[in-house]
Amino acid sequence: MNRREKENIIVSFWGVLLVLGASLLFAAVLIFLLSSEPLPAVKYFFTGPFLSRYFFGNMLDAAVPLIFTGLGISLAFKASLFNLGGEGQIYMGALVTTVVCLALPEFNGLAGGLTALAAGSLAAGLLAALSGYLKVKWNVDSMISSFLLSSAVVYGVNFFITGYFKDPSSSLLSTPFIDSRYFLPHLMNPSTLSTSIFFALGGAVIIYFLLYRTRWGYEMTMCGLNPEFARYGGVNVSSYVTMPFFLSGLMHGLGGGFAVLGTYHMSIKGFTSGMGWGGIAVALIAKNNPLGVIPAALFFAYLNAGSKAAMLHTDVTFEVAAVVEAFVFFFITSEVIFSFIRRKRRSLL
Amino acid sequence: MAYLTMENITRFYRDNHVLANSNVDFELRRNEIHALVGENGAGKTTLMKILYGLEQPDEGRIFLNGSEVFIRSPLDANRYGIGMVHQHFRLIPDFTAAENIIFGMEPKRRLFFLNRREAEEMVRSISDQFGFDVDPSAVVKNMTVGEKQQVEIMRMLYRNDETLILDEPTSVLTGRQIESLFYTLKKLTRAGKSIILITHKLNEVLSIADRVSVMRQGKVKGTYRRGEVDKKELSQLIFGRDVQFFAGRGVSSGHKFAGKKIFELKNVSIRSGDIKPLLDSICLSVSPGEIVGVTGAAGNGLRELEDVVSGLRDLSGGQVFYHGEDITNFSVHKFREKGFAYVPADRMKRGSSLQASLKQNLIIINHDGFSRFGILNRRRINSFVSKKLRQFSIDGNPDLPLHLLSGGNIQKTVLARELSIETDFIIFSEPTWGLDSAAGEYVYKKIRTHRDKGKGVLLFSSNLDEILGLADTVFVLFHGRIAGRLDNDGSLTKELVGTYMLGLEIDE
Ligand SMILES: Nc1ncnc2c1ncn2[C@@H]1O[C@H](COP(=O)(O)OP(=O)(O)OP(=O)(O)O)[C@@H](O)[C@H]1O
Ligand SMILES: [Mg+2]
Repeated sequence: MNRREKENIIVSFWGVLLVLGASLLFAAVLIFLLSSEPLPAVKYFFTGPFLSRYFFGNMLDAAVPLIFTGLGISLAFKASLFNLGGEGQIYMGALVTTVVCLALPEFNGLAGGLTALAAGSLAAGLLAALSGYLKVKWNVDSMISSFLLSSAVVYGVNFFITGYFKDPSSSLLSTPFIDSRYFLPHLMNPSTLSTSIFFALGGAVIIYFLLYRTRWGYEMTMCGLNPEFARYGGVNVSSYVTMPFFLSGLMHGLGGGFAVLGTYHMSIKGFTSGMGWGGIAVALIAKNNPLGVIPAALFFAYLNAGSKAAMLHTDVTFEVAAVVEAFVFFFITSEVIFSFIRRKRRSLL
Repeated sequence: MAYLTMENITRFYRDNHVLANSNVDFELRRNEIHALVGENGAGKTTLMKILYGLEQPDEGRIFLNGSEVFIRSPLDANRYGIGMVHQHFRLIPDFTAAENIIFGMEPKRRLFFLNRREAEEMVRSISDQFGFDVDPSAVVKNMTVGEKQQVEIMRMLYRNDETLILDEPTSVLTGRQIESLFYTLKKLTRAGKSIILITHKLNEVLSIADRVSVMRQGKVKGTYRRGEVDKKELSQLIFGRDVQFFAGRGVSSGHKFAGKKIFELKNVSIRSGDIKPLLDSICLSVSPGEIVGVTGAAGNGLRELEDVVSGLRDLSGGQVFYHGEDITNFSVHKFREKGFAYVPADRMKRGSSLQASLKQNLIIINHDGFSRFGILNRRRINSFVSKKLRQFSIDGNPDLPLHLLSGGNIQKTVLARELSIETDFIIFSEPTWGLDSAAGEYVYKKIRTHRDKGKGVLLFSSNLDEILGLADTVFVLFHGRIAGRLDNDGSLTKELVGTYMLGLEIDE
């Protein structure tokens, strides 16, 4: 890396930090205005996640699925593909992981867990790959097809969780618990944080390596930047539509699978809801850099945990917290979108 | 009398630490054609972008009719009557000529869009006044480059621009199109316009420019009146040495190419619905040690044939052979596997990826060779890239996006990449578009070296000097057919080729 590059990275780093800071400040102002006990609300919003091991661990744990989905989105984005089906893919990955664990009770913990994860991520990967396939085969818009497929799948998964696989003894709309031998070790009791975070961090490093150091990542990036050029250069362009989608779905599926093995130990109706969309925000903040996904997911989780803490301790309602999050999301994405437009415009000139 | 003056202009690009303009003084007189010349990356485009408001100078001032003006955007430039045609056109492909011309400056008489007929009428009147030959209702993407350029110029006239900047307008035109462009430019100066013309072709400078300014490494080395310098001196000023561009006809001994063929087309046709085929029964072959030149006026099938031989377009009929093997309708992927090298005419979209880095652009065809088990060997890539940059004197940072390079340096990047593969068959399409004479000379030398090593070269060019200077055998396309197959044995003249191009002569 030369000096210029370093400077550029530093400049954009401060740029992102500035936006994040501004959005936090904005969130504070918003809570301040909407709450009848503004000072404690703001205080809990900012410090809540650090007040106890429990909150802190939960915040870290909440970042894990976001890292996976953020990686999935970034990956597809590099190939200029927009995977809007994250919600369905992560949900599907979670359910399949759960079901495999339930079906293999006598397997030993590690091999069984790995089998379940593999099955879950494969299912999600295939679901996503379908959008890629439809695009290659019939030129179906992959953004739309991934979204529609995922919406349908969410209903399908709901049906299984609340019907076929429902635990009759539980009052929750959920499957039974998986065998405790499949649980990932917890790290920060009593929080839900588990060793799944190491898998998430490892995943980011692997994806980074894949994108920037391998032939495959290079070809995919070139297809994303200018498919005509990639084709001219001898790259098999059509293979870089289905494959990135598959891998993107795979990451989502892993996100769902780890949520089951590490955090929830079962599938509950709607329990991954929002993680797919969150992944898009995370990828946007990270500018699709797989290593950037880690801090971006942490920031997002912090925001979430902060609003939860404020809700818990003060009169801040769920709606207020949601509005705050939405505004911050808006802030971040608009910055990213502006810089995207700027870049586009510059390239036109 | 100086009408427009740029004084002490300096522009430093922080992105890549390039001083593109350094204390430049430039002066334009009324009604003159002022040529701006200099090697690739000398800073010509940058200076003109500053005048047109696309770039802001770090230092320096601009005066118009003696009073200082501040040009912060192309809108400002337009207010001062300054218009520009860019090195790479910026028309909207799906719009008609008329729509492109009035775009952004629609007449404000009506509340809503003016009707199409009215727009076309206005365009037609400009067209009649200055003798343009473009159908206002034609869609831009179906036009030849010459027509697109006319649209760009009409756009400036529609905006009542007084100062017209043309950045390398001739590098993509054929001889005849250049003549008619120059005719128009002369006419425009008589109508009161002042013109700045960037070009790499010194003959053009000598034939049309009233004055010429020479730029070198971001500085203006001097401004000369017509007749004050000759070609040799100009070349000295630009490169610091005399460059023998287009000199000599490198015809290869005139020996006959019989027997073995590297590449062959048999009865190749392309039909696309219409009655008239785009290509009709093309037969052509390339032997070892032969440069086969293919030329023709714009719109006669040159680009289609280029697409066919490079595997980008499927045939409606006929066959393609490589060393006797039938490779009809092969994919580009296959094409690259065979090791073909190909410099496309469309360097900006097909030949390069402007958002990707210079390095990424250089390794697209051979990155396989730099990887083991799918992992790229960065050290080997870096040494390959720096070798190519040196070899082709490409001025640019390998890790920054390609679009930051000057036009000519982008061209060189494409050439450097394609010339880096070991192969016995190379396709060049318009290889010297946008190159300065020194770079052009280098490319010609390379093409001849390939030939002399017994490789086959297929050269598409609309530049007859290039065709006659390089090709052993010349094919002329007319209306998608081969109008003539001519041996370049030393007696072949531009005039004769020209008669075939116009379809005045057709061999059966
Ligand atoms: N937007 C930019 N950002 C950074 N560097 C630039 C930019 N535009 C041009 N440069 C650099 O400035 C120098 C001069 O470029 P410019 O385009 O003015 O050259 P030019 O004389 O028009 O050359 P050519 O004949 O190749 O078109 C080059 O080294 C180029 O890399
Ligand atoms: Mg230029």
